[in-house]
Amino acid sequence: MNSKFKIQNSKLFKTFAFLLLTAYCSMFTVNAQSGGTQQNLTGKAGTFAIIGARVVTVSGAVIENGTVVIQNGKIAAVGANVSIPSGAERIDGKGLSVYPGMIDAATNMGLVEISGGLNASVDVAETGNINANAKAIKGINPHSAHINVTRVNGITTVLSMPTGGIVAGQAAIINLNGATQSEMSFVPEFGLVMNFPRISTFGGFNPITGPQIVDFNEAVKRRDTQLEDIKKAIKEAETYNLAKEAYAKDKTLPFPKVNLNLEAMIPYIRGEKPIIFTAERERDIRGVIKFVEEMKVKGIIVGGQEAWKAADGLKKNNIAVVYTNMFSLPVRDDDAYDYLFEAPSKMQKAGVQFAISTGDDGANVRDLPYQAGVAGGYGLSKEDALKSVTLYPAQILGISDKVGSIEQGKIANIVVTDGDLLDPRTNVRYLFINGRLLPLTSRHTELYDAFKDRK
Amino acid sequence: MRKLFVFLLMISIVSISPAIVFAQSKTEVLVKNATVMTAAKGTLENTDILIQNGKITKIGKNLKAAANAQIFDASGKFVTPGIVDAHSHTMLDAINEGSFSVTSMTNVRDVLNPHDIAIYRALAGGVTSANLLHGSANSIGGQNSTVKFKYGKPVEDFVIADAPPGIKFAMGENVKRSNFQIQGQTPRYPRTRMGVVETMRDAFLRAKDYKQAWDDYKAKKTKVPPRKDLELEPLVEILEGKRLVHAHGYRSDEHLNLLLLADEFGFKVATLQHGLEAYKIAPEIAKRGTGVSIFADYWGYKLEAYDAIPYNAAILWKNGVLVSINSDSDERMRRLNIDAAKVMKYGNVPEEEALKMITFNPAKQLGIDKRTGSIEVGKDADLVIWSEHPFSPYARVETTMIEGEVYFDRNKDIAKRAELEKERTELEKLDANKAPGSGGTPPKVPGEKRIADRDDADQTDGGNR
Amino acid sequence: MKSKFILFALVAIGSLFVGSAFAQSYAVTNARIVTVSGENIEKGSIVIRDGLIEAVGANAKVPADARIFDGSGLTVYPGLIDSLTSVGISAPAPRSQAGGPQPQAPPAATSNSNYAEGLRPEDMTINDLKAGEAQFEAIRNAGFTTVLTVGRNGIFNGQSAVINLAGDSVSAMVVKSPFAQHITFTTLRGFGYPNSLLGTFSALRQMMLDAQRLQDLQKMYDANPKGMKRPDDDKSLEALFPVLNGSMPVVLNANSENEIVRALDLAKEFKLKAIIAGGQEAWKVADRLKAQNVPVLLSLNFPKRTASASPEADPESLETLRLRAETPKTAAKLANAGVNFAFQTGGGTTSDFFANASKSVENGLAKDAAIRAMTLNAAQILGLSDRLGTIETGKIANLTVVRGDILGKEKTITHVFVDGKLFEQKEPPKKPATPSGGTPTAQPAVANVGGNYTISIDIPGQSLTGTMALTQQGAVLTGTLQTQLGTSPIKDGKVTAEGFSYSSTVEYGGTTFDIFVKGTVTGNQISGTIDSPQGTIPFSGTKNP
Repeated sequence: MNSKFKIQNSKLFKTFAFLLLTAYCSMFTVNAQSGGTQQNLTGKAGTFAIIGARVVTVSGAVIENGTVVIQNGKIAAVGANVSIPSGAERIDGKGLSVYPGMIDAATNMGLVEISGGLNASVDVAETGNINANAKAIKGINPHSAHINVTRVNGITTVLSMPTGGIVAGQAAIINLNGATQSEMSFVPEFGLVMNFPRISTFGGFNPITGPQIVDFNEAVKRRDTQLEDIKKAIKEAETYNLAKEAYAKDKTLPFPKVNLNLEAMIPYIRGEKPIIFTAERERDIRGVIKFVEEMKVKGIIVGGQEAWKAADGLKKNNIAVVYTNMFSLPVRDDDAYDYLFEAPSKMQKAGVQFAISTGDDGANVRDLPYQAGVAGGYGLSKEDALKSVTLYPAQILGISDKVGSIEQGKIANIVVTDGDLLDPRTNVRYLFINGRLLPLTSRHTELYDAFKDRK
Repeated sequence: MRKLFVFLLMISIVSISPAIVFAQSKTEVLVKNATVMTAAKGTLENTDILIQNGKITKIGKNLKAAANAQIFDASGKFVTPGIVDAHSHTMLDAINEGSFSVTSMTNVRDVLNPHDIAIYRALAGGVTSANLLHGSANSIGGQNSTVKFKYGKPVEDFVIADAPPGIKFAMGENVKRSNFQIQGQTPRYPRTRMGVVETMRDAFLRAKDYKQAWDDYKAKKTKVPPRKDLELEPLVEILEGKRLVHAHGYRSDEHLNLLLLADEFGFKVATLQHGLEAYKIAPEIAKRGTGVSIFADYWGYKLEAYDAIPYNAAILWKNGVLVSINSDSDERMRRLNIDAAKVMKYGNVPEEEALKMITFNPAKQLGIDKRTGSIEVGKDADLVIWSEHPFSPYARVETTMIEGEVYFDRNKDIAKRAELEKERTELEKLDANKAPGSGGTPPKVPGEKRIADRDDADQTDGGNR
Repeated sequence: MKSKFILFALVAIGSLFVGSAFAQSYAVTNARIVTVSGENIEKGSIVIRDGLIEAVGANAKVPADARIFDGSGLTVYPGLIDSLTSVGISAPAPRSQAGGPQPQAPPAATSNSNYAEGLRPEDMTINDLKAGEAQFEAIRNAGFTTVLTVGRNGIFNGQSAVINLAGDSVSAMVVKSPFAQHITFTTLRGFGYPNSLLGTFSALRQMMLDAQRLQDLQKMYDANPKGMKRPDDDKSLEALFPVLNGSMPVVLNANSENEIVRALDLAKEFKLKAIIAGGQEAWKVADRLKAQNVPVLLSLNFPKRTASASPEADPESLETLRLRAETPKTAAKLANAGVNFAFQTGGGTTSDFFANASKSVENGLAKDAAIRAMTLNAAQILGLSDRLGTIETGKIANLTVVRGDILGKEKTITHVFVDGKLFEQKEPPKKPATPSGGTPTAQPAVANVGGNYTISIDIPGQSLTGTMALTQQGAVLTGTLQTQLGTSPIKDGKVTAEGFSYSSTVEYGGTTFDIFVKGTVTGNQISGTIDSPQGTIPFSGTKNP
């Protein structure tokens, strides 16, 4: 963290502790002081009841005048007529809506604080081409300013991915709350990120002459070489695993020299955990499909501009798409202006399992609801737009039994708003992660409070 | 051969229009039964707008138009003024002249590309006017062009003739070149914020001397006419209040230093561009009548953007500062309505004020508010018809018109797609497009350059837009 | 004198003089004559004396001292003019396409200009011309007698020259020099100003303004120097005086609509006598060209598809497809709009020139207009229609003699007359079959490097010897490299005019690494370098008998 931020933190903390506290307290109509214990920034646990709200369960019907009870970090009850445990903090939900917390299934949250010109704050890309043992969970900064900024907009869970090389490392699912990496951790080693080799004619940027272009056939060759390199690495990992397993059974065999990189690949090449492929164009997506078939692995695609064009192969191989291009420009001049706005709806129609993601490194993950909203304006139903940032990503990440909808027994990652969750005018009024009621503060509210009344 | 000739003629009929243009002749246009968000005088339900010769001539209920008028039934739909983007580099074939730190002699007018597909995509996002700025590689950059996006028209039709001229200034990381280095090049002065201010001061002192030399010559005190200096001429215009300064910057201290420099030389800064920390010095800005053109909530992409907050607009607005929300990006430009909506949440800016931040306010900042930026009688009919409330994320632009002519229409765009596919099929059949030969002009590479062209966030462009 | 002699010798070797240097007079008889100035003469004679056309007509009198050239079955056209080339100028080093910054331009040869290389309008093409180069002959063989030629470097390309394509010396070849100032909207090499298109325009504008002022100051000073500081003697700015005064045309290289519009705007701003060169999309602004009375030197280097589509490639953009479809119609559209134009090769080949002139005719251009675009119109735009471009008495005896129709597929250029000198064309080389009429570009002459060489590789402290077996087929090199490390085949072997290069994979100590070899052969000596991961190592050796 840079020195500037340190100063801000220490100074601001003292200067505004009072302001923060008042702001925080005034947000809660009930029992804010809760036995006099001071709230820390990771919120407070307890039993809560949101009463008389419009409950958008996502998984089922909307409950117009419903109540949600939160206890022990879980959703204890949800419905029109549920009994409220005694001692529960009661939150008046009149005029408010209750949603499951949103999930962004492709970010670099916590791995990049300031991408431009501040390398000291960037931990996202390990050096080298094959970095299977690089684990995002070990690089995530639990105190990144991005975390609070993101969650106060209703996003409670993200997948954070490393990006370096071809095999970039292992992505972590985290909840956006916790003072330590382990407190945040949801699934610490969820998937192996592979920047699937693609044909790129981009040959670097020259500040004088601009982007340099590589010959197309040369780019094809480069792609093929990279693909071969990956297959080679997988074969090596298989060999390594074979030797290890053989040794486990027969100690007279030579013990294979430890190789953390190969070791890390094993659960992924065995198909026990998914490989997350970044791929955009149809040809690259078809390449991923072929790779998944050939190597018998589990795949998820991140990016997915033209995934709908390869729907059959994706469906056949159960490959889901985390679509990160709502706010990208179409690549070709001839592409229709709404080419990328419409892609989620096209995937939906083609039966491809998908979710919408910002694909952002952290600071702007909070745009997630609006990205889904725009998809809702271009062919996707409003209900599906909402699902594409709640239940669908939960399903793709294999955590839909715990999050992604408001159902009894699920983790209480809950957002209470004064309007449509996907609408940029909507305010988040209450926020729960793991059942903890969180203050709606962030670096941004702190700076706002510090300067809003300056004369 | 004859066959081929006839065939080629056929193709030429299909492909004669280089772009999708739906512009109509200047007959009357009537937009009916809309919810009209005027960005000046509130929102009017079930209202008609009559357009004659490209101007709004009547706003009211049950208006009558000539028999041959073009009618847009906007029942259930919303109409806003065309969006004005106060910071864009769309249409520019070159963005930075990075050689000197003062390049006021350059003018983006020289390098406008009216065929840039980004124009059409911006129209599809409701943008009708933009401030096309030189990049931010220079303490004092090039002269701007204020344009309307009359896609399909010759380039001279884009330029708003009566818009006051402007110029780009820049401070901070881009000017210092902290985020990139050019191998083999001697570092350019300035390398610090200290040096940036001095570079500007030096330029203005030279401009004053230059003006003096011309005054002396005009007063016949000297015999030899001074050299006409294209670098200093625009600076003299700034000193004379004839040219708008649009100053890129982030930190509040650097912006304030520019305001102090302007005080020193007696000119007014028209806008602080980006101004992500402007909220820290809102009273100082308000006092000088300087406008601020910001991102709604884009932040954190470099150190000097780390103190940006989405409440910036609200604080500035409450201090009486004229605020606009810009895109600085061909991509973001298509969704400025959503960015404007955000400021309602961050600090409770009222709806009409939020709408003004992408329409009337930027028009005022660019000095084109007599023409555009609000829906009022007498103004240019630069209008957007939205499928629903423009601040809803589900809203789509249905029709965008400039001076009563339609430049984007969603239904027509969709209808046109099949035609374009057919044209492609026909073109691909031609010998010239089929068989590889030697020589000739190399094919254009696909536009992957467009992946990220926003001002400051993009690392691959040297961060200098 | 000595150099002149060598030049003469080169010309003599390079082409076949039918007549001797003493032949002063010819009579072309029984030929079909396309005069361009008037009606075609189906059967007539042209009398040539002292490099000029003495008489032309169905019944022109053949003088007794004239050598008779029987034109039966042949058509005579005015000598063809290629209205923009860089013929005779050595090509500039190509700009690096690889990543990384451009190298700083090397310090220019002594120039006292105050301006960077590329911003020096005083540069004269004629100073860089060399008479007798083989390329004159090649173009002449294709039927051209006259070209406009200029270097293509920088923003100001300098002042061009119109030359006839034969002559013992540059001065004898020149028809007009300087003809025009040439401008390209490009940037300068290196980091200096201007390094963007933005700066290109402001730099051009400032130089024009400075030149205007210098001209005024010089006049003031000449009228009354007392009490006035002496104005600079700036040769770069002074070179712009005729441009600003309208006495020298300005050729602006502009192909796309945007470039042409920018060129026209600049021309308007400084009241330039403008000519557009390239003009691929000129039809889109034909009205403006007509209104501003700006002619076009239209490139016949039409865009073509250069590679087969890879199955994985994106479809080509509509813009590209349309451009290829539209370009052949440009000439007809310009003609219809009343814009004056002449054809130029545009950096393409001479066979493209004729093929695409025919394509222009197929796409609606009148045949006589196409012929004018390579004769009289070109002469007019070059300001030389009083001496070139038609077959008329008194004009320069530049003639192109063709068997067949010059715009037809089956034609042979049999002879050309340049300044009254007769050149017989050599048999055109047999063309290998190429798809879609595409003509292979002329193969550059390549060095002769084939053979087996014993080489030593100079690794410090070691002596590595080996054999390099090089088999050459034209520009393609195959063979092997044999050293103590083993034998490895040659990959991607190429031979150029200067030498050869190839890559190879060498195995050493269980690992393989790639090397890149380049070298030259002089007599039986071979030398060069080997780029390896360990560095660059020199080698040398001799050819085995």
